[in-house]
Amino acid sequence: MELGEVDKGTHVVFAPEGKFNMVAAPQLKERIDDLVAAGKSRVLVDLHRVDFIDSSGLGALVGGIKVTRKQGGDLRVAAAGDQVRAVLKLTNLDRILAPYPTVEDALHDW
Amino acid sequence: MPPSMGRQEAEAVAHSGSAELYDCFVRLAQAIFAAPIAALNLIGNDSQFTVASIGFPKGEIPVEDSVCHVTVLKDQVLEVHDLREDARFAEIPAVTGPPRVRFYAGVPVRGQSGQNIGVLCILDLAPRTLGRQEREMLADLGALLEHELSVQEEMDLAGKVQQLMLPTAAPDIAGIEIAGRVQPAREAGGDYYDWFVVDDPDGAGKRLEVVLGDVMGKGLAASLIASEVRAVLRGHSRYTDIGDAIARTATTTRHDLEANDRFSTLWVGRLDPATGALDYVDAGHGLAIIASQRGYRRLYQDYLPIGMPIEDPWTRASDVLAEDELLIVVSDGVFDVLDDSFDQVEARLHAILDPGLSCTQIVDRIVSFSVSHAATDDVTALVLRRVTGAAAHATPTSSTT
Repeated sequence: MELGEVDKGTHVVFAPEGKFNMVAAPQLKERIDDLVAAGKSRVLVDLHRVDFIDSSGLGALVGGIKVTRKQGGDLRVAAAGDQVRAVLKLTNLDRILAPYPTVEDALHDW
Repeated sequence: MPPSMGRQEAEAVAHSGSAELYDCFVRLAQAIFAAPIAALNLIGNDSQFTVASIGFPKGEIPVEDSVCHVTVLKDQVLEVHDLREDARFAEIPAVTGPPRVRFYAGVPVRGQSGQNIGVLCILDLAPRTLGRQEREMLADLGALLEHELSVQEEMDLAGKVQQLMLPTAAPDIAGIEIAGRVQPAREAGGDYYDWFVVDDPDGAGKRLEVVLGDVMGKGLAASLIASEVRAVLRGHSRYTDIGDAIARTATTTRHDLEANDRFSTLWVGRLDPATGALDYVDAGHGLAIIASQRGYRRLYQDYLPIGMPIEDPWTRASDVLAEDELLIVVSDGVFDVLDDSFDQVEARLHAILDPGLSCTQIVDRIVSFSVSHAATDDVTALVLRRVTGAAAHATPTSSTT
């Protein structure tokens, strides 16, 4: 899967596309691990092109939160579609992974 | 032929239903050797099972009518230039009658037992001879197939172990009808259900605890974590209330969940069958309802799954299960085919609320519906209701395909 990674200096943006599942999720998590190891711990995942997320996808995002926060950073998600928001809400993960309406909103203090 | 470990194993693999996975090997063999017939034959006690083939029907023939029952006793490729000229094979039906095969080459394939269980073979309608390189290629293909077989057998076994961990007997408590079923997307998966009887920690008597857990991800790796969560929750549940049991389970499993980037949703209920009093905790699962002809209500809380960066208090909530109501808990594999929407849940409820249906039939309907609507995730359903009198019963069904 194309992760759509762009390094913006103060943070790194990912814009994955299509199904965010057990194929794509480990790739993203691995990239985030590499970035954090290289000292970049602010990560934004722009979900506007993701039409389906499964539990593996959620796992990668949660794993990303853990590893970035440990280094004083954070992982944020923005522009989630209906299915993604429904799944985040069902599992109550929106409590720690509240989706920002837009990428600009998510970046307001970065 | 006298039974041996290899032949027993061949019978088991032939009946496991996973043999179509090997079609690609016979296609490769046919293409590489430009042979009209290629087959994977498993040699059982009395039969040869053709489980994958091109140019020859799949199925079962008497073992003595096969060439492969000789190859299976060997350690290397058996090549027969012309079967008609070989006294061992000249009279077997495939040589004397259609398709009147002449040439044969087969490589024995070992199983988990260490003994050969079958043969990957190619056949031709004219006599021929393989070159050295061709013989090596056939041997290589056999080795690849052997590896694939052993991986598949391991996976099937893992799935079986997981299935055998599901409760099979009615809980030892009066007044309950209960059924559950898991249909993993692969051989094994991260979904499980459980039920067992515990003593109420307040000394108020016996209670039925029911659990539906969903470890993030699919397959063997998720099933390992699911086994751990199940065992740890069972252990803690014996000594405390369900909220505390979940909190302790989160603490006990924290390292293993974190190290593997996994989390698990859990829905746990504890029911007094006599009164219908139901305590429950919803750790990010969200998919439990009480339903009847009068409507339905969700039993959900705002707590996170276990294995998250923060640990919740997981304090139990209470409800009452009336005698005409069903408690239904499902996994997100079911919810996905309902477009992750409770409107769809409501629209489908009538199909399972017929009072004439047993819990087993309801569970089967939920799982079959999900599978027939192309569920891509593990699918699990758990259904229970109170029954009057002591005639408690359960018919758990669980299956893997």
